[in-house]
Amino acid sequence: MNWIRTIFVLLAVAASSPALAQTMKYEDSAALLGASCAKDIEANCRGVNLDPTRMKDCLSRNQDVLSPQCKSDYGKAFEAIQKRVAARQSVFKLCERDIVKLCGVTDKNDRTKALECLIAGPRGIGINCNKSVVEAGYR
Amino acid sequence: MRRLHKSLGPIELLLVALLGCAALPAQAQAPAGNQAPAGNQAAALTAGTSEDWAKRLAALETAPDLDVPALRHQAMERVKSRADNQSLKRPLVAPQLLKLPQLVAEINFDADAAVVRPDSYRVLGRIADTLTHPSMLGYKFLIVGHTVSTGRRDVNLSLSQRRADVIREVLVNTFKINPKRLLSLGLGEEQLLDSARPASPANQRVHLMTVGMIEAHAPAAAPAAAAPAKAGAQKPKR
Repeated sequence: MNWIRTIFVLLAVAASSPALAQTMKYEDSAALLGASCAKDIEANCRGVNLDPTRMKDCLSRNQDVLSPQCKSDYGKAFEAIQKRVAARQSVFKLCERDIVKLCGVTDKNDRTKALECLIAGPRGIGINCNKSVVEAGYR
Repeated sequence: MRRLHKSLGPIELLLVALLGCAALPAQAQAPAGNQAPAGNQAAALTAGTSEDWAKRLAALETAPDLDVPALRHQAMERVKSRADNQSLKRPLVAPQLLKLPQLVAEINFDADAAVVRPDSYRVLGRIADTLTHPSMLGYKFLIVGHTVSTGRRDVNLSLSQRRADVIREVLVNTFKINPKRLLSLGLGEEQLLDSARPASPANQRVHLMTVGMIEAHAPAAAPAAAAPAKAGAQKPKR
């Protein structure tokens, strides 16, 4: 019965992996920052725009006067944006081979065509490539 | 089935349960992005998902021959010459823009400043989602800033340009959109969105338009070479 147990566990891992790995939409990350820190930004960072360096620095400098909600969420929001940016950039590195071999896209500039193919999940797609497509939120 | 349950030890069951629980938050977050504020006209402009917005912007049939610096100059010259002084009767300074696939985003700014208010961060994020949607990656966009017709025309023109620039900078610096894909233009009160009511807040909104295809994608968007996204008048405390 060991093989049944192994298959069951593997299926559970496979089924839950995409949900585990998917990064947040930019809209949700930005909304989290706006909702949790609006008053704190008004009070302490007036004049600073949504910028990963300046806004984060300003909130960080004012940590001791931030509301608990903002203190807990601003780092998460910027981290979520950064994670999605990194995930989206890595798709084209990790899928370089599959884009050419499985999708037949040789023009590196045709990212739309390459992504359409990767999202459809061509047969034989590499594990890391597939994972990166999911992480980037494309599928 | 009973045999299968028996064959799973406590460690495997725990593993499966943990994986299932860990998967839940990511699934639960998905609908949040689809929530749109209900009600008034302003809310209607922020409604829809990034997928809806991408569909609206993808309908570019032929790329227009658009000279953005020339349009900027044209608007500046009109303001300088004090032509068409009555805002109600003022003709559009760039009517060709109306033919492009576009949407109007409701983005709130601090008064008389190019600083996006936190209640509009969601919309900025949605624009970033839209521009990085797979179907949009080959396109270039124009961000057009507008103002109401109260105050000085030249100040309004300059303010709208700074606001359009700030949105571009946020998209490039925060969401790492390739800067080659984004152009910005301020039209002040020279192309009112609601020309029947020149002082209406509807005239302060931001237009996002598809203006063509990019010739070559950069491998990865680098941080903007332009000035950082700070344009407010007041300095942060401390």
